[in-house]
Amino acid sequence: MSQIIDLARRVDRAAQEATAIAQFSEAAGLSVSDAYLIQAASIAERLKRGERRVGIKMGLTSRSKMEQVGVHEMIWGRLTNDMYVEDGGSTSMSRYVHPRAEPEIAFILKKDLAGPVTTAEAAAAVECVAPAIEIIDSRFENFKFDLCDVVADNCSSSGYLMGPARAMDFDIGNLGMVLSIDDQPVAVGSSAAILGHPLRSLAAASKMVAQSGETLKAGDIVLAGAATAAVELKAGMTVSTEIQQLGSLSFKVTE
Amino acid sequence: MSENAEIAEAAELLRTAQETRKACAPIRDLIGETDIDAAYKVQGINHEHALASGRRQVGYKIGLTAKAVQKQLGVDQPDYGVLYADMMLGDTSDIDTSQLIAPKVEAEIAFVLGRDIAHADVTITELMDAIDHALPAIEVVDSRVKDWNIRITDTVADNAAGALCVLGTTPRKLSELDLRLCGMAMLNRGEPIATGAGLACLGNPLNATLWLVQKMTSLGQSLRAGDVIMSGALGPMAPAKSGETYEANISGLGSVRAVFAGS
Repeated sequence: MSQIIDLARRVDRAAQEATAIAQFSEAAGLSVSDAYLIQAASIAERLKRGERRVGIKMGLTSRSKMEQVGVHEMIWGRLTNDMYVEDGGSTSMSRYVHPRAEPEIAFILKKDLAGPVTTAEAAAAVECVAPAIEIIDSRFENFKFDLCDVVADNCSSSGYLMGPARAMDFDIGNLGMVLSIDDQPVAVGSSAAILGHPLRSLAAASKMVAQSGETLKAGDIVLAGAATAAVELKAGMTVSTEIQQLGSLSFKVTE
Repeated sequence: MSENAEIAEAAELLRTAQETRKACAPIRDLIGETDIDAAYKVQGINHEHALASGRRQVGYKIGLTAKAVQKQLGVDQPDYGVLYADMMLGDTSDIDTSQLIAPKVEAEIAFVLGRDIAHADVTITELMDAIDHALPAIEVVDSRVKDWNIRITDTVADNAAGALCVLGTTPRKLSELDLRLCGMAMLNRGEPIATGAGLACLGNPLNATLWLVQKMTSLGQSLRAGDVIMSGALGPMAPAKSGETYEANISGLGSVRAVFAGS
């Protein structure tokens, strides 16, 4: 257990100080469940400092993301209020090691979701849906990690934005999505890339968090996962995402 | 400029490859890597052969409409090929893979013209007026050049890699569609194997279509009512295998399936 706490503090400090650390899962002989324990303990450090858990993010839910990082399993991480970046606002490079942005769809729940559920049950728990951007930032050197490393590192979560939410009264299964840098499209995809349908990701989220003894709560944000590969951020960029029928959002990257 | 003899030889190589289903060496070995005009001459010779053998032209396909693909081939514009009646298939028709060499599939939007376009300075609004409807489509591309080892002149000479077009049966008016942001998903066995959106095609499939129409009319070729324009891929292409079905879904346009017969 002391090893779990030590590694949790190591990733938490790396995230807090925006400094890269060496991969550790192989040397430490971690299992995936160890990795989720480290993640939970690192989030506990954040909560001790007064941060608030606001939801979760699903990761590696699309083929392009799995290929980009070379890990071929779905993962999930926790979001806190400190990670929120305002739509139309800015975020500083000093907060990150080597950040990347990816276009996502966010669900906001009106009911709890616990354990394995059908996509229909998942849909019935959705209050509204919003266009979103996730800022991911592996705390590992060169953005290189294996499955256990990335899980321990809260699945690279470091920031998220949401645009205007609306009721999910239409099919979100094949919405065109574009991520632009300085208004130039750099990644184009469809919400279908997220496990074939983003609601499958929400159902998977309910099932996966249950394995750590948690449930998704009314009011939680669930980021369904990226539809395209992530794009590297640099100071001076304006980053925006536009999603068919959901609208758009943007932020600036400062020094 | 390549010599006429080399252009004729290149055309014959491609015809033989198509007839025997045996891919040939790169055409650039004969006409060079950069002479796009020579490559269109090769395509033109084979077009004359096609017409002489009784094939009927029904439209055009536009290729190289993704910025990434243009960059890969070192060009800054799309290319085009000719569509013949015998290339056009309906939803779910069986595709005989023995007629193909190394097929790949890509999802795109087909536009069908409702009236002729003859003037070279056709505008975007005139084009929109001339389009009767849009259809979801799968283009089956194939390379008569061995192993898809192609540069720009190879693919232009090879009728822009055109092979077959599978068209959906749900005609839609432009006013019903979001051509820029419509999502595209190509599914095989329920898995999304390629995804994209309308703007992957030169920002908007109508931009590619306007390029094609202006290009053809400036070459003195009018477009006719009923012509089909395959406007270009909305996402990456995927290799097609015998015995597999590929379904393209385009948001607002519906779906279409290409069924590759088992070997």
